[in-house]
Amino acid sequence: MPLDDRVPDHRLLDEAAAWAARAGDPSFADWDGFTAWLEADAAHARAYDVVAARAQDAADALAAEPHPANDDAPVRGNRRWLRGALAAALVGIAAVGVLQFRGGTYTIETAPGETRTIALDNGSTIALGGGSTLTLDRRDPRFARLDKGQALFAIRHDAANPFHVDAGEDRLVDIGTVFDVRFDGAMTTVAVAEGAVSFNPGQQNVRIAPGKIVSSAQGSHEYELGDIQPSEVGAWRTGRLSFQQATLGSIADDLTRATGRTFEAAPGAAQRRISGSLLVDPVKADPASVGPLLGVRVERSGDGWTLEPQ
Amino acid sequence: MSSSPSPSGLEAAFIERRAKLLRFLAARGAGEAAEDVLHEVWLKIAAADTGPVASPLAYLYRACDLMMIDRYRSARQARKREKDWTEAMGGAVPGVSDAPSPDRAIAARQQARLAAETLDALGARPAAIFRRHRVDGVPQKRVAEEFGVSLSTVESDLRIAYRALAQLKERLDEA
Repeated sequence: MPLDDRVPDHRLLDEAAAWAARAGDPSFADWDGFTAWLEADAAHARAYDVVAARAQDAADALAAEPHPANDDAPVRGNRRWLRGALAAALVGIAAVGVLQFRGGTYTIETAPGETRTIALDNGSTIALGGGSTLTLDRRDPRFARLDKGQALFAIRHDAANPFHVDAGEDRLVDIGTVFDVRFDGAMTTVAVAEGAVSFNPGQQNVRIAPGKIVSSAQGSHEYELGDIQPSEVGAWRTGRLSFQQATLGSIADDLTRATGRTFEAAPGAAQRRISGSLLVDPVKADPASVGPLLGVRVERSGDGWTLEPQ
Repeated sequence: MSSSPSPSGLEAAFIERRAKLLRFLAARGAGEAAEDVLHEVWLKIAAADTGPVASPLAYLYRACDLMMIDRYRSARQARKREKDWTEAMGGAVPGVSDAPSPDRAIAARQQARLAAETLDALGARPAAIFRRHRVDGVPQKRVAEEFGVSLSTVESDLRIAYRALAQLKERLDEA
């Protein structure tokens, strides 16, 4: 058989890559269409050979090398991507350790206003809120890292193999559980609905019971323990946001992630604390409607909305 | 075709669609050797004792396609060895083993690094989707669910990854 592995021209390569992407999956069914494409020109089969063989070369090489010698190489893309997503959150925070990546990780990102449920192999699920970034590890199914935003974890407990969640510098270990984690780059908040979570077992080692909520600033070992209705934990999934003595800055952040509209605290007002509860959809439709619900003034500023205490 | 997929369902599909499979193999580059290749494919399937297969015809086509990819890769490898041999001035070491030598291990690592760099240059998602589908062997539908993207996005990311890897020119082969 004559062997020609020269790189085909651009258009041909594109077509071959498209067929390889489709035919490489077990569910592919259009073999007649594929045959017709191959029969149209002998160059098609040669192009497909080059593409398919090199994809397999790469897969084999990567499979043989789960820990590449140059550890930076396979994660550079991840970092660049994350850097964009986290740039704002990380400014001024000496938490570069957050960006630790290993070879097997991958990232799931939601747009503001979008939520997504991720089913893990063992029957556990993670609901990811809007404007959030979560990193999972193919090699360690009992690990997740919340890079930004909010996620509700419903974890099937396995005493021999506890589930870990990292949020910034903080580490959570489940003790069989439904819990909500929120991380905005500066502050970690954990609320437990069922079971229990151990907060930073190596340090403060706080056991968070159902109906309890813990918040802790990055770079600080201090934490604040409060109460929350277990039914309110993860209530954002049902389209409701509740705030209890939350800072206006974090409320603006939550509203932005949940609605896809941009909210900001007015200058100097980010640390003001406010309580209230609202439904996301009406606010999506009419951002000014948060005013009476939270007792704040809402003003239009450019593309976004500014919240100011009354 | 048999409605209850089973090993015999596979055999029934093979017999029934033999002509189509041959046509595919011929177009796929086997040419006159299509009969031989199909025979080889069937021996392999029979030896593998796969158990019930959800979609026998797709399974057979896929086996044929993979066989052709294998054949191409072996032919390419043989040619490269021959070239290396000639370049090494007739090969002073008769009966050289196929076991990984330090050189080969370094070459493999370089291949992995090149592949990783090429993929990562495309962005985090295409790179991660390629790994998940091709290295971990996860079907595209599940990859789509895991990444929270549509099936066509997975397909398009893979197409971009395949194209970029093919465009590595001779680098992967010669690494």
